[in-house]
Amino acid sequence: MSLIVVGIADYQTSNRADDVIITYSLGSCIGLSIYDPIAKLGGMIHYMLPLAKISPEKAVAKPAMFADTGIPALLNRLFAMGASKSCLIIKAAGGSQLMDQNKIFNIGERNFLVLRKILWKNNLLIKNSDVGGMLSRTVRFEIDTGRVTVKTSLGETEL
Amino acid sequence: MNIKQEIVSRISSFPTLPIMVNKLLFALNAQEPNAAEVNKIIQYDPALTANILKAANSAFLGFRNPVNSLSEATFRLGTKWIFQIAISSLIYSNLRRPARGYELSDTELWRHSMAVATVSENLRNLLNIRDAGFIYTAALLHDIGKIALGDYVSQHFDDLQKEIDENKISFEMAEEKVLGIEHAEIGALISENWHFPLPIIECIRWHHNPDGAPEVSDAIDLVHIADSICLMEGLGIGRDNLQYRASENALNRLGITIDKIELAVSQAIVVLEEVENMFKDIPAAEAARR
Repeated sequence: MSLIVVGIADYQTSNRADDVIITYSLGSCIGLSIYDPIAKLGGMIHYMLPLAKISPEKAVAKPAMFADTGIPALLNRLFAMGASKSCLIIKAAGGSQLMDQNKIFNIGERNFLVLRKILWKNNLLIKNSDVGGMLSRTVRFEIDTGRVTVKTSLGETEL
Repeated sequence: MNIKQEIVSRISSFPTLPIMVNKLLFALNAQEPNAAEVNKIIQYDPALTANILKAANSAFLGFRNPVNSLSEATFRLGTKWIFQIAISSLIYSNLRRPARGYELSDTELWRHSMAVATVSENLRNLLNIRDAGFIYTAALLHDIGKIALGDYVSQHFDDLQKEIDENKISFEMAEEKVLGIEHAEIGALISENWHFPLPIIECIRWHHNPDGAPEVSDAIDLVHIADSICLMEGLGIGRDNLQYRASENALNRLGITIDKIELAVSQAIVVLEEVENMFKDIPAAEAARR
């Protein structure tokens, strides 16, 4: 088994059954796992911000920083590897918030809203999600089974 | 002796910093670091000089011709940069240790400290706030109290979390309630013990409660907002999670908009990766000996 780590503003894919993709310490960022159980392949993105318009040049250098550039990039990579759209199982975790949300610190919430919008536009649905709250999350994704687990300081649960 | 008295009584035995740190801080005059003075202080420490040259020659900065001397580095990168690298490597070598009860490894706490310093510096630039280096230093050291408080947080974690869940208070308020003192105040006491300049002590003391400061300041607000951003983004985050409040007043005082926060986040993450690489090879000599 090899452990593939997804850094912040990064995505990784795999079609090797014994691989595990993991991302650590999601705060307001979202870790999105996309799996094709027939082709046995999948990928995960750890994006930070909703929209690339804030810094188009950063979006060119690091598309996975933003939901609107990173998610399409990950999807295209998966399609190129042989994934089919009708099979995709999509799970999301992250989008935490600090206490007392005012409009300015709700990046977590907006990260999730934009995600749903992008998927909706592409006729895709989120199967399961664990978003919001004040906990930091670590997400683990097994390529063999498609199993996604979320670990926080309270314990580990399957998504 | 109650818990607070016990914690405070241990502050004097907290590690000290090399005298050079204070010399550097006091060489910062009101607005700009004094180049000649800063270089004069640094050049007497060959290890530090070597670290600075190494950082100056890192791939990140991408100079075609190598930087060979401190004065050349100053010329190319500016005194503020030299000061930041010097203060960062001194703190890295001497204070890189875990905050145990918070479940922050030495690497994670350092990552958080560097992240807050980097975001502070980015926001300071975006907002055109002048500062010679106090904000950067305070940002690097804002959570120093967590190292001292870690064992107590570990012993009383369940009580702390219960306070937060039941009374919807933030983590440092729970520390105050359960332990009698919170990590920001301990950090301030430690930096007082180091005879740091007052603006730095105040930034550390009020970093979770900028509205409580007797005199509000841009520096305190900036460190608070940068810390909030880094906690939110999960940059070096522990068992205390995101259970902290961000002050809307601090945002309003600084005139920060969502766009500026997002821009600072997007810029900082790229810089942070490079800065972390720059420090990867610098030995933690002092810390390892203890």
